[in-house]
Amino acid sequence: MGEFEVHRVRFFGLVPAGVRCLACSPRGGRLALGRTDGAVEIYNFAANYFQEKVIPGHEARSVEALCWAAGERLFGAGLGGAITEYDLAGLRAAHSVDGGGGPIWSMAANGSGTQLAIGCEDGSVKLFQVVPGGIQFERNLDRRKGRILCLSWHPSDTHIAAGSIGALRVLDVCSGQTVQRIMVNYHMRKVTRECVVWSIAFLASGTVVTTDSFGRVQFWDWQRGTLRESHTVSTSAVLSLAVSEKEDSIVVGTSAGATYQFQLLPVKMGSLEKRWVRTKPFQHHTHDVRAVAHSSTALISGGLDAQLVIRPLMEKMQKKGYEAALRKFTFPHRRLVSCARKARLLLFQFSQHLELWRLGSTNETGKDGEVLPLRRVPEHLVQLKSKGPEHIYCSCVSPCGTWVTYSTASRFHLYRVRYQGDSVGVTKV
Amino acid sequence: MVAPGPLRVVRCGGSTLCGAKAVFSADSYLLCASGDFVKMYSLATEETLRLMGGHADLVTGIQLNPHNHMQLYSSSLDGSIKLWDFMDGIPIKTFTVGPKLLALYALASSEDSVFVVIPKSGERDTFQLVAVKLTKAAGQDLEARELSVILDGVDASPKRIAFGREGEYVASVKEVHLQVYFFKQKQLNRFSVSTAKTKSGNNRFTCIACHPMEDCIATGHADGKIRLWRNFCHKKEYTFSTLHWHHDTVMDLAFSMEGTSLLSGGVESVLVLWRNESDRQKDFLPRLGSPIEYISVSSDGTLCCTLHTDNRITIINSNLRFSKSIQGLIKSKDVKTDLVVDPRTKALVLNGEPGHLQFYCLQSDQQLFSLDIVQRQYIHQAGLNQADLVKVAFSAEGNWLATVEEREEVTDPELQLKLWFYDEETQSFKLNTRINMPHEDHITDMCFRDMDELEDESLILVTAGRDRVFKVWVMVEDTDPEAQQSVSWSCDFVGSYHNYQATNCCFSEDGSLLAVSFEEAVTVWDSVTWDLKCTFCHPPGKIRSICFGRLMCAKYLIGATDHGFLCCWNLLSCALEWSAHLNVLVLQPDPLSEHIAAVSWLSKESSLFVFKPNEPRPIYIQRNLCKEKIKLAAFIPRDEPEMIGSEKYLWLRRSQLFFLTDTQELMTLSTKSLEERLTPSSKQLAVEESLPVTPFSLLLGRHRRQQSQEDIDLGKLVVRNKHEQDSPAVKELLHTPAHVLPSASFLCPIFINSLLISKEKKSDEEVADEVEMQSEKTEDDSDEERDVTEMEQEDTSPMELLGEITCKLSKSQEKELRKIRKMDYSWISAF
Repeated sequence: MGEFEVHRVRFFGLVPAGVRCLACSPRGGRLALGRTDGAVEIYNFAANYFQEKVIPGHEARSVEALCWAAGERLFGAGLGGAITEYDLAGLRAAHSVDGGGGPIWSMAANGSGTQLAIGCEDGSVKLFQVVPGGIQFERNLDRRKGRILCLSWHPSDTHIAAGSIGALRVLDVCSGQTVQRIMVNYHMRKVTRECVVWSIAFLASGTVVTTDSFGRVQFWDWQRGTLRESHTVSTSAVLSLAVSEKEDSIVVGTSAGATYQFQLLPVKMGSLEKRWVRTKPFQHHTHDVRAVAHSSTALISGGLDAQLVIRPLMEKMQKKGYEAALRKFTFPHRRLVSCARKARLLLFQFSQHLELWRLGSTNETGKDGEVLPLRRVPEHLVQLKSKGPEHIYCSCVSPCGTWVTYSTASRFHLYRVRYQGDSVGVTKV
Repeated sequence: MVAPGPLRVVRCGGSTLCGAKAVFSADSYLLCASGDFVKMYSLATEETLRLMGGHADLVTGIQLNPHNHMQLYSSSLDGSIKLWDFMDGIPIKTFTVGPKLLALYALASSEDSVFVVIPKSGERDTFQLVAVKLTKAAGQDLEARELSVILDGVDASPKRIAFGREGEYVASVKEVHLQVYFFKQKQLNRFSVSTAKTKSGNNRFTCIACHPMEDCIATGHADGKIRLWRNFCHKKEYTFSTLHWHHDTVMDLAFSMEGTSLLSGGVESVLVLWRNESDRQKDFLPRLGSPIEYISVSSDGTLCCTLHTDNRITIINSNLRFSKSIQGLIKSKDVKTDLVVDPRTKALVLNGEPGHLQFYCLQSDQQLFSLDIVQRQYIHQAGLNQADLVKVAFSAEGNWLATVEEREEVTDPELQLKLWFYDEETQSFKLNTRINMPHEDHITDMCFRDMDELEDESLILVTAGRDRVFKVWVMVEDTDPEAQQSVSWSCDFVGSYHNYQATNCCFSEDGSLLAVSFEEAVTVWDSVTWDLKCTFCHPPGKIRSICFGRLMCAKYLIGATDHGFLCCWNLLSCALEWSAHLNVLVLQPDPLSEHIAAVSWLSKESSLFVFKPNEPRPIYIQRNLCKEKIKLAAFIPRDEPEMIGSEKYLWLRRSQLFFLTDTQELMTLSTKSLEERLTPSSKQLAVEESLPVTPFSLLLGRHRRQQSQEDIDLGKLVVRNKHEQDSPAVKELLHTPAHVLPSASFLCPIFINSLLISKEKKSDEEVADEVEMQSEKTEDDSDEERDVTEMEQEDTSPMELLGEITCKLSKSQEKELRKIRKMDYSWISAF
């Protein structure tokens, strides 16, 4: 064995961006993930949840909601007020249409993938038609006060359930009218605090599932406007909700970092009466769980701690093995660090800038595992800010350390670094 | 008079109640397995109504007969199942199964069989659940050998098997495995929790309960978690959710009748109520005193009860409010105090709850009260050294109580001597003096100079310590004007002998002499001048206990050594009078006679020797008193001297001897035979008299008072008498729950007849006969026969005769009652 010097690089202060939203493609093959910095990542289920594609973020473009429509087309909407279609082949935003209702908080595609509904800051729900090569505004549905935080289509595409602050609404798609409005206030205490409906799901049976800021998961009968079941899972808010395709299992994520599974189970053996039962709690996250998804074999959750956790359901697995293992994606899957071997330099890539460091060095040698005293401490040479709103996609430093390059979605930049004693000069080529 | 039989050893308290879950009967009684007996308590008065004995070994399970809620099945380690009519306390049938029965379950859906847990033949420590077919043949004693195995490899504990909704399935847990057997599908599903020891401890199963309405199983685990299993009819797609509050083992679980809430309990002595199977909605009933062993819920859901490890029963309302507590002899961790008799209440005093002194009334088998001595919060945690009470002594009048508490520390023990004065106003003991570190080391013995005739000022307390001294404590006037009390205690004299450890101390009957044993020697001191009078020694062996003789034998001093010698010294001649080779564990003098009882432990059995100090031959010997080691004994003075025919048992005339065994069962010796002790008393009546006053009874009472006043006005005193005699019948009618009564038209004639002023008593009986079916007649005859035999047994002594007369009166009432009751039941069984 040769001798190695191991550098402890503790000066790479990367702050990973938290997971903001998740969307499973209807056919179940892919998962789209939106981060708080606007980056969108695509994971492929078939290839062991391999991170297939990354679309870097954009300063002006946040992602609040993602959805798959019309086959394999991915749309995103954000607080910028625009709906963007992503070019999955070119790994960039293809084109965007302004929603016209202020910041967009939520977006949902209908079952057939032909229409998109968005929930806006001004309380309106707007329908967009998905047409080849883009989307087209169709019409406005009934507008009420209060931002629409979540949306869900009924599987038959006739109704939309929308959750806002303190209430949920059911809208008829044909007439555009509000057909039911349910207040979800919290009456338990003297002071009625504002109750935020964080997420909503419309089941085929006519049940509307909501999660709110009081830690409740509630099941409503939308036609009668009555509460069917209420489960308090947490003292903090329940932020996210996802339903399995068969509608017999629900996963919710709370702001305490825990996720819970609900299952629709028969009350008695062989009887038709079924009830939602809270079954398994999981505590994989340290921060808010902002997004959950339910694939046919696994519960997927993403949180502000930037982790993506894929928890396979044991009962759906045929055998124990690699498929059935718990997966946690803690690290970025791209190369963010590049190394100039000869010049002993490191280039770190952040979303908006690059940092060039010189590694520390030592004269001494020691035994295995020993910490050697440094002759020269690591040195921060250059911080290179990128220009424009686009985030850096990739970066590299040449082995001699004189060339630094990075690229965004649309541009490529090359710099020359000159070392003159202690001072460092950078010139754009 | 009955010919004197041999003395019988009778268990009279402290039998473990934790053999099986308690059962609520349909009408406000609670049934509990207690040792070899089944006890029936009234929920209204907490009184022990009936003691059903007949099993030859520990009762392991009791269940109401699902087809007749007035009957009870009980199973025992003696291998038999008994069917009882618990209202009358009569065994109806005995089914002999054979092997040890460890648990019993009865199901409404299984017509003629019950389920028991038996050890698997040929294998040690493996048990199986079997169904026992109970034959319907006539006769009292039946064989029930028809067994069919349901589940193999179950746990012996009755908590670890539960039957599900409508008897569809049975679930059993053992170690980390749960198995569910579906009767209809004949399908067995097994589930396991991970065996890996997690950081929160191990997750072995400890108990199980099934939801009464839904397919849901709740299991308790050793790490304090509760798991709710659902969908367990599928082998793979089962699921469970977890509830976690307990920090230690979940001891028992019970669902409410509708299954909307779940009760759990453990060593924390907190009952937890989980609503809607939710982690967030739970209520607590804390401070129940001691670890919860079993939880049971009444069938109407209004009450639940918890059985505790210290033999206490707590009855709790449905809204989780403490309602009542039934406590007999509290089982403490270790009885360090002697069995002491409180001279005031004649109650037995010993360690109760940790740090408490319990006063146990022998007559009513109830705890009178519990005195908090240590006055510190007890923390339920393993391995924590907590202060506990070790010695107790009462002064002769019961005005003063001395207690010693210590905390076991390796380096220096923490000792406290407390003196309590009985406050007449508050009727309880009040702390007078507290002495920290009265001795440098453990206190080995303590006694008051008990002289009845002398006034309070001459009271002396002597403590003997392992620090090689004995100390004399006297009362002194308190000179401090601001002091709340006029007297306090302080040390007067410290005596020692050759630097030996003082082990025992004892005053002579007149209080003039004090005997203190120092390892191998006994020293006798003058209690006025504190001069050493003389010493006795009988090597080899250290003195285990000493006592003075009483009355005629006051000149003798008895000592027992741990080398197996019993010595008697004459104090006048200062010489050894006699000695005997006997390994004496307990030496107990009777305060009211010359007799001294010695209990020996030889070849794994305890034997009792009763002797007088003036003669070396024992008066009475009973070998093989019991298999357990007897630790403590006490003579309890009787209220009135008992008539004892035989010369042999004369020593039992004025006091009764009680023993406490290793397992903290209280036993006594009785000259009476079994039948006499188990009196089918008319306690039932007494209970109904002591029922709480309801608005209805007030109304009725006023009505009656008016009526009686009218009677007096009319001068019909005789008639009023008669009317009172009939009233139990009416009373019974009014006290029986409305839903078990026959139709009003049926009852009307009886009711009216009972109100009618009958000319003769005979007409009354005729009415009753009409109502009864003719089949009852034979039983009636037998009743009468019994009456006759009892008449024959009557003694000539006038006092007894008087007793019989009152007894006869109540008997006729009882007969009346029984008729009414029988009628009720026959009506029920028709359905």
